[in-house]
Amino acid sequence: MSNRPLENIRVIDLSRVFAMPFAGANLADLGAEVIKIDTCQAQFMETTRTITGPFPGNQPGELWWEQGGTFQTLNRGKRSLTLDLRSEEAQSILKELVSVSDVVLENFTPRVMARFGLDYASLRAVKPDLIMVSNTGYGHSGPWSNFGAMASALEPTHGTGAFMGYLDDNGSGKLSPGSVPNKLGNSYTDFLATWTALLSIMAALLHRAKTGRGTWIDLAMYQAGAAFIGEGLLAYSFNGERTRRIGNRHTSMAPHGCYPCLGEDQWVTIAVRDDEDWRAFCAAVGQPELAALARFATTPQRLQNQDELDGIVAGWTRARTSYDVMEQLQRAGVPAGPVLTAAQALKDPHFRHRGFFENVSHPDETGLGSRDYIGRGWKFSESAAEIGGAAPLLGEANGYALRELLGLPQSRMDALVEAEIIGTEPIGGRAPSQVPLETQVELGWIAGYVSDYRGVTGKSPPPQGEG
Amino acid sequence: MGVKFLLDGLRVLDLGPGIAPSFCAKLLADYGASVAKVEPPAAGDPARRMGPFVGDDPNPEKSIPFLYANTGKRGITLDWSTASGRTMLHKLLDESDVLVEGFSPSETASSSISYGELAQAYPHLVVTSVTPFGQDGPYSEFEATDIITCAMSGLMYHSGDSDREPLRNALDQSLYVAGANAAAATLVAVFARLTSGEGQHVDVSISECLAAHLVQPVPYHNYMGATKGRRPVRGSGFEELMPARDGYVVPSVQGSQPWETVADLIGLEELHDPRFASGAGRIANGEELKALLVEGLAQWDRLPLFVASGERRLVFGMAQDAGDMVACPHLDARGFYHQVDHPVAGTATYPGMAAALSERPQQAPAPAPLLGQHNAEIYSGELGYGGDELAALRYTGVI
Repeated sequence: MSNRPLENIRVIDLSRVFAMPFAGANLADLGAEVIKIDTCQAQFMETTRTITGPFPGNQPGELWWEQGGTFQTLNRGKRSLTLDLRSEEAQSILKELVSVSDVVLENFTPRVMARFGLDYASLRAVKPDLIMVSNTGYGHSGPWSNFGAMASALEPTHGTGAFMGYLDDNGSGKLSPGSVPNKLGNSYTDFLATWTALLSIMAALLHRAKTGRGTWIDLAMYQAGAAFIGEGLLAYSFNGERTRRIGNRHTSMAPHGCYPCLGEDQWVTIAVRDDEDWRAFCAAVGQPELAALARFATTPQRLQNQDELDGIVAGWTRARTSYDVMEQLQRAGVPAGPVLTAAQALKDPHFRHRGFFENVSHPDETGLGSRDYIGRGWKFSESAAEIGGAAPLLGEANGYALRELLGLPQSRMDALVEAEIIGTEPIGGRAPSQVPLETQVELGWIAGYVSDYRGVTGKSPPPQGEG
Repeated sequence: MGVKFLLDGLRVLDLGPGIAPSFCAKLLADYGASVAKVEPPAAGDPARRMGPFVGDDPNPEKSIPFLYANTGKRGITLDWSTASGRTMLHKLLDESDVLVEGFSPSETASSSISYGELAQAYPHLVVTSVTPFGQDGPYSEFEATDIITCAMSGLMYHSGDSDREPLRNALDQSLYVAGANAAAATLVAVFARLTSGEGQHVDVSISECLAAHLVQPVPYHNYMGATKGRRPVRGSGFEELMPARDGYVVPSVQGSQPWETVADLIGLEELHDPRFASGAGRIANGEELKALLVEGLAQWDRLPLFVASGERRLVFGMAQDAGDMVACPHLDARGFYHQVDHPVAGTATYPGMAAALSERPQQAPAPAPLLGQHNAEIYSGELGYGGDELAALRYTGVI
């Protein structure tokens, strides 16, 4: 794995949950040595190690803190150093480590970092050209700076719900713009912060190479969310437009939407961009007579008659699989594509061809075997970017970081273990209880499940009675 | 400008078209790069024809998506399919570190910007291609707009309500997310060049950029064979959009505060029932709790509830519309908004950068360029073309 562009960069990753750990994972994919600061004190362990899951077969095993699938995705290729940061000794070790590193990632509240003496000013004192990302809900300045945040509540707060929502059916026979906001979900805002962090860190590394100066990146999730709907905010500034909730429709394309297909919860998206697309669509679906109808001939007319058009399109898609619709319309040059589930994406020939999912082998003791994980949306012709390995076992790099990097003697290491500041197993805590999958379906948490699913490839022995 | 910023000295050529490559180059400009946008003469970037328009006037200088995705750039026109246009493009590339483009792979392969030719002529050049499905694979030539890439990324399946069709993501989210990814990946290649001395091709797939958000749905399948769904229509109402007096709020039990704090804030005595104090109890008594929640939230307006939540270290949210966002006192205090004056579209409040950086306070960007606004400045001033030559190029439609 030579030729990874960040091979000489060391990152101290103090961050938790999704956004910044994923930025760290991307830096690790690019070759950086990312040391995750973990803790062996179970009550302070990050939630992706303890409760987020998903666990293999929905059953956390003996080494439950190593087994969360989302934890594995977000922390692949990193090292793990445990430090109980409540202790002053741990705080001073961390500072020593920062002094021999390049980048720090953290997402504590401003209060916590200052209390630990690990704020940017303190860390810059030991590493003058430090690049540091401080990621919080609302940033380190402004009246809301001390407010906490979680993505599910943050997303509508930064305005995406103004531009997402189903059409309203008020019984008039014509659908109208919606009054109820909706959301993307899946912690959408977290990833906006991930990409912003990555971009800012790369810009700061280039700046450091040129000027020798570090950068502090005050990354507010709320502000990132606002920047990604900048077009909508500007539309308000110019035109006073406060919301645009038009379901799956478009202001200048019709038909444009998400239509039902053969199979349960299967859908396809179609976008007819202009009159040429419309004629191609009519020919492709074997209804050339539609192209001759005056009320559908031009975009303004199709926009006027969308309710009728959507019925016609759905009538055609309903009898076909989403992939068949895609193939048939794409052959005619009309934009169309299935709404893929994760299971479909994992099997999709294009994703497979591109190598988007990368297979990772896990240490035997985790019992995870080898599994596929999401990669990233970019490839390089010369540089390498790839998942470097599984997420680290708790504290696996204690010796590396403390003895090799910082030169601590064994006696001091022993004392740190004795004081429970470092360790390789959780102190306290237990495997989280799981809600059975059938109950999760009833509660609406999941859409469904395959009852005999194993999902393990490679090393693991086959289950009893198979083969 | 004057003040040096992170990417000061980085020279970028932005060929567009549309939102994703343009937003990539806009972000590089935000961080200090010098960006020239190259558009076809007469027609300009197709994004100029995207609505909404300022005052609903479909003038190519008044497209709001174009105005947002092209701040901080200078603009020139060039038909690089002609022989003289090609020569000029090459002069521009002599002076560039990065080329950003978003044409289909077959279009670039048969043009003067095929990567093979560029790599030979400009070994130092980083070429970033931002396309719906990337440079290779069975879908690489497929047609797509935002709703298609959202759908095929796997993210759209999860947005909307579980008893209805999946819902398209707000505005052109896949294109903006891909633009940010492309900007980051471009800088990775520029960073690699510091040691290798050589440029390379950066292949960005819009659908894959959004697919990289699936950190839960993919392991849900790979670890337990489960399909994570859309927003459940049942449940206690927490972590979901719920009606308040003047709009919608998101009540939340997340964070580290006990249930009593949540019950206290909403202010309805019945919420203090011990059956609601645990997560399991809230699940078991979800319908009853939701009814109480609706009653309690009806007493609140969004902003006071949100602020009271933050002050109690709870993490409630509220649904804000674009007007709320532009008037937001918090973003204003953080210096997020800028007044930008555009010679045709007029003056407006523009959103600024996603992150605040210690090396420089946020600054107002230059407005998006008019079509060919900087032709004389760049072609005469920097590339040394004479007035007669430019007149001839203009006459033959090259610029």
